[in-house]
Amino acid sequence: MTSTERRPADFDEYWQGALDELRGYPACPEIDAIPLRSTEFATLHGVRLTSLGPYRLFGYLSIPTGRGPFPAIYYAPKYQSVLEIIPQGTANRQRSRYITFSLAARGQRNADTPYAAMFPGLLTDGIDDARSYVFRGIAADSARGLQFLLTRPEVDPSRVIVVGNDMALISAASQPGATHIVTTPQLFHDTVDLAPRTRAYPLEEINDYLRAFPARAADVRRTLGYYDLRAFAPRVSATALVMAGASGAVPDATSLESLLTALRGPAILHVSEQSSYGDGLFIERWMAEQAGIGDPEEILPEHWRSGARD
Amino acid sequence: MPRAIADYESTVRKPDDFDAFWEGVLRQAAAVPLAPEIIAEPLRTSDDVLVYQAFYSSLDGVRIAAWYCCPARATGPSPAILYLPGYQMDPPIPKDWARKGYCALSVAPRGKLRSLRQFNPGYPNLLTYNIVDRHTYGYRGFYVDAWRGIDFLLSRPEVDPARIGVTGSSQGGGLTITSAAMRPEVRAAAAGVPYLCGYMDAIELTRTYPYEEINDYLRMHPESRQAVAETVAYFDGINFADRITCPIILNIGLQDNVCPPETGYALFRRIRSADKRLYPYDGHGHDGGRQKHQPIVDGFFARHLASGPRGAAE
Repeated sequence: MTSTERRPADFDEYWQGALDELRGYPACPEIDAIPLRSTEFATLHGVRLTSLGPYRLFGYLSIPTGRGPFPAIYYAPKYQSVLEIIPQGTANRQRSRYITFSLAARGQRNADTPYAAMFPGLLTDGIDDARSYVFRGIAADSARGLQFLLTRPEVDPSRVIVVGNDMALISAASQPGATHIVTTPQLFHDTVDLAPRTRAYPLEEINDYLRAFPARAADVRRTLGYYDLRAFAPRVSATALVMAGASGAVPDATSLESLLTALRGPAILHVSEQSSYGDGLFIERWMAEQAGIGDPEEILPEHWRSGARD
Repeated sequence: MPRAIADYESTVRKPDDFDAFWEGVLRQAAAVPLAPEIIAEPLRTSDDVLVYQAFYSSLDGVRIAAWYCCPARATGPSPAILYLPGYQMDPPIPKDWARKGYCALSVAPRGKLRSLRQFNPGYPNLLTYNIVDRHTYGYRGFYVDAWRGIDFLLSRPEVDPARIGVTGSSQGGGLTITSAAMRPEVRAAAAGVPYLCGYMDAIELTRTYPYEEINDYLRMHPESRQAVAETVAYFDGINFADRITCPIILNIGLQDNVCPPETGYALFRRIRSADKRLYPYDGHGHDGGRQKHQPIVDGFFARHLASGPRGAAE
């Protein structure tokens, strides 16, 4: 870890406090079938549940037709306003083999009352004070989502994959039960030092903020110390796939080395092929292999299948 | 590349009253004053780029938000880029275009974040919002919101009205097609992995969202298939293509899992412009070869929009 983002001495207390607070609010899930998005191979449900605050969240839970238990994919909250059932471009048939659960954290559409996040804007909302930084709540939301998924009797607890950006790793560190993670660090890896190397959002939010409020730089650095992925990594025993940007991207494989070595469980790093096809296919096959799905072809998008390029 | 992809024949047919339909929509839109407004955004402004929140009114009186960026050191009228967003993405602040010398407007059509107070179909849902009625279909206003972005740019004194380009990918690529077709002020267009082209083809070619929204709808309402097909024919980019006469480039991914490449080829064949070029990227999905293609887009716009009073964007 760089000198600017050392693990705060009270890192454990900070997060224990958040999780203790979360425990004070029962999830109280409401689950309603959504016939429009249900098929012969999967039933979709809308789920409302409570998180720290209290704050009411929303998620999409899809359960395959047939006898479980099934492997599960938890799509942790993304850095975007909308909530997808499964990520755009994923074969809908993925829902025939996996339970999928995607969650909107506070501020995202369907969970934007009373707090509607701005994009860009979310990454720096309250960033000058770790106690009120919006991601303290979002991290709790993401942990709550994983907790909820694990309560489902259809889930095979030996095959629970958490997929997402930084929230995937933070959730797996905060809440037991993830057996695998696929993480694409975007927000909280060496943030203060890497942000100046890019002009692309969301990290550009940090540059904007520090340009506008230079006197708050130390506070921002202090807050981000509680969120740096390397501080969470020793708590992650799940098998991990870490997706890195191509050379020169932020973050790239070189900058992610320290994260990879800090993870407690087995981990591999995949460097982006700068192709959503190449990267997407790698992830789909890796997840299928880890989940024991022998023939993933039928749950790939049509244009990714083996015969599609002949 | 499989020949079947390049040779794919779209099933899309243009309604006889296609032009009359859109003339009627444009007449309604013209009755709504644009009422353009900009508000400085100091938090996002830097030495090289001025950033503003922008607003204007569109069809049905819906107020549309956008991000507007200008080069900080421009000394005369600048070329401009209208940037149109994808289906899932939040409209970005187009600082990168301003750094290249363009005034750039990144539009949030109705239903997108910052433009959802008067119209909010939810997500997913826009693709099928009132899909059995072309007069109230969600994309009717959404398309006009994009086109009115041109009017906003024309209202700005720092924009050279003779040098306006339009670009975007996915839904932004589809909107690029319709904008280039409907707005003669567009001098050059670069459409990436265009969505909203070959709607009824795409739902057979791929089973992924967002097109899967239509399959969901038809599973619930099988009796509406003909009405759906009739509606989307008025909105299909393939049916706008023969109105495009400006220079245009398209990029597609041959393994695109969102917008089937077959529909990209079908669209390209229908574009009337003599100055058109298709860039198909093998080994690429919905990214459409973005990393390799962006320098081509930059060179294309520099070539077509650079010459002007100040020779900006070179």
